Amino acid sequence: MALEVQILVKGAAYLGAGVAIGLGAIGAGVGEGYTAGFANRAISMKPEKAGDVLKNMLIGQALAESAAIFALVIAMLLVLMEFQANAITAVALAAAGICMGFGALGPGIGAGFPAGRACEGISRQPATSSSLSNTMLVGSAVCQTSAIYSMVVALMLMFFDYSTRAFNPNAAALFAAGLSTGLAAIGSGIGEGLTAGGAMQTIARQPTSVGRATASMLIGQAVAETPAIFGLLISMILLFRVYPGAESVITAAALLGAGLSMGLGGIGPGIGSGAAGEYALNWLGRNEEIGGLLTRTMLVGQAVSQSTSIYAMVIALVLIFVV
Amino acid sequence: MEDLTTISQWVFTLGGYKIALNSVTLINTWMIMGVLVIFSLLATRRTKLVPNPLQSLAELLITTFDDLVRDALELDDRRYFPLICGMFMFLFLCNVWGIIPTFEEPTKDLNTPLGLGILGFVISHYSGIKFKGLKGYLRVYFEPIPFMFPLNIVSELSRVVSISFRLYGNIMGGAIIIIVVSNLVYSLVLPPFLNVFFGLFVGTIQAFVFTMLTLVYISTQIK
Repeated sequence: MALEVQILVKGAAYLGAGVAIGLGAIGAGVGEGYTAGFANRAISMKPEKAGDVLKNMLIGQALAESAAIFALVIAMLLVLMEFQANAITAVALAAAGICMGFGALGPGIGAGFPAGRACEGISRQPATSSSLSNTMLVGSAVCQTSAIYSMVVALMLMFFDYSTRAFNPNAAALFAAGLSTGLAAIGSGIGEGLTAGGAMQTIARQPTSVGRATASMLIGQAVAETPAIFGLLISMILLFRVYPGAESVITAAALLGAGLSMGLGGIGPGIGSGAAGEYALNWLGRNEEIGGLLTRTMLVGQAVSQSTSIYAMVIALVLIFVV
Repeated sequence: MEDLTTISQWVFTLGGYKIALNSVTLINTWMIMGVLVIFSLLATRRTKLVPNPLQSLAELLITTFDDLVRDALELDDRRYFPLICGMFMFLFLCNVWGIIPTFEEPTKDLNTPLGLGILGFVISHYSGIKFKGLKGYLRVYFEPIPFMFPLNIVSELSRVVSISFRLYGNIMGGAIIIIVVSNLVYSLVLPPFLNVFFGLFVGTIQAFVFTMLTLVYISTQIK
């Protein structure tokens, strides 16, 4: 029996590792390709700026890749480390891989948008090259926060000791914790990238607007990140709440439902808020005098688009605490 | 990994109630407040037309945040400026505090961001009532249709959750990643870079984001 459990844990770790880096590679691949595409366009528009564009492209791609590197770290840990041999650990390891894999998907795609738009901006307005690169660094780094949340949840799933908890509802809670943050991070990562891309376009069009565009970009990104934060909150509750052992699977089903509800419910609002941010920021440069009004309208629009993720969170909380 | 979940507390009973104080967070918060007070005293003592480095740092902070507050609120006076500027200075120091060995970021304890989030929430709603009157303030909750009232309440409350968990998640996430990576590479080369990234870079951005969101919440209430 002990041997079988050991094999189960190893198998779950390998499965998790495969899912983590497999899914994690998708996002970064798309994002980096998008950046390179824009860089090609930028160079053909202004060949004499090829050096600047190329440098910026490489920095941007390196940032877009960091989400995949987080996934790689988790996958390596899952493959190389020795874990305790019990069934609940096996579930936790598989959940860690799934969480990191999905979590790296969005930020990888998202970080490609500001990088690509920055390359385009450099060829359009070479004088802004340095402020574009700096803002791109900030914008892309903020994109990675949702990947960092997923990594934190994955590390908690891997390194905390769950062996004292009863298998039946608690394994489902751990799995749901992984799903919640991992899935919710997809939308937020893409959304934050869209917003940062809009800021790049505005800076290239209107170099004087750097300060205002950066401030609005950070606010827009922060709001687009909210679904991932709700996902993190639900994951934290699921990770730290210990359930008494149960015979029926009804609690387990409710907990899985909670994770799925928050995870899937967070995808759309994240992308949607990002789109709101992208257009608000894009038009900021064309009409700088009404910047305050644009930022306010963006926030109201984002708040409305966000409401569906709040419904998802309410349902998840009801499933955790009431059912 | 386990030491992250253990919180050192002073527990004592007062009038039959058990009171627990998070000692590490409290000590670090008071040290940060001390640093801020000393900085403010040194920067504003003997101000000159040609400023010394400390004075120019203070002037830079004040002019930047004065512009931001003016931009967002469009008020004639500066009544919200001290709150916003002070909040940024405090949070910035809190977030970079962990770079110094043996010190811990107070923002790594959920209570600090949550407390500040509730502070911003109460101030923004109080401002809403003060500027628009109770009727105008309440009307917003019944828009676009009265049926939306409970959902509007939930979405207002979720702002406190999102603003405080954003700060907490970033700082705590950085701390967890630094601990795990340090263990894996036996504290060679990588951790200082991670400290700079998560402490200085992410810390500054998140302090700014928290401050700006508080400002935005106030501005949406008074307009």
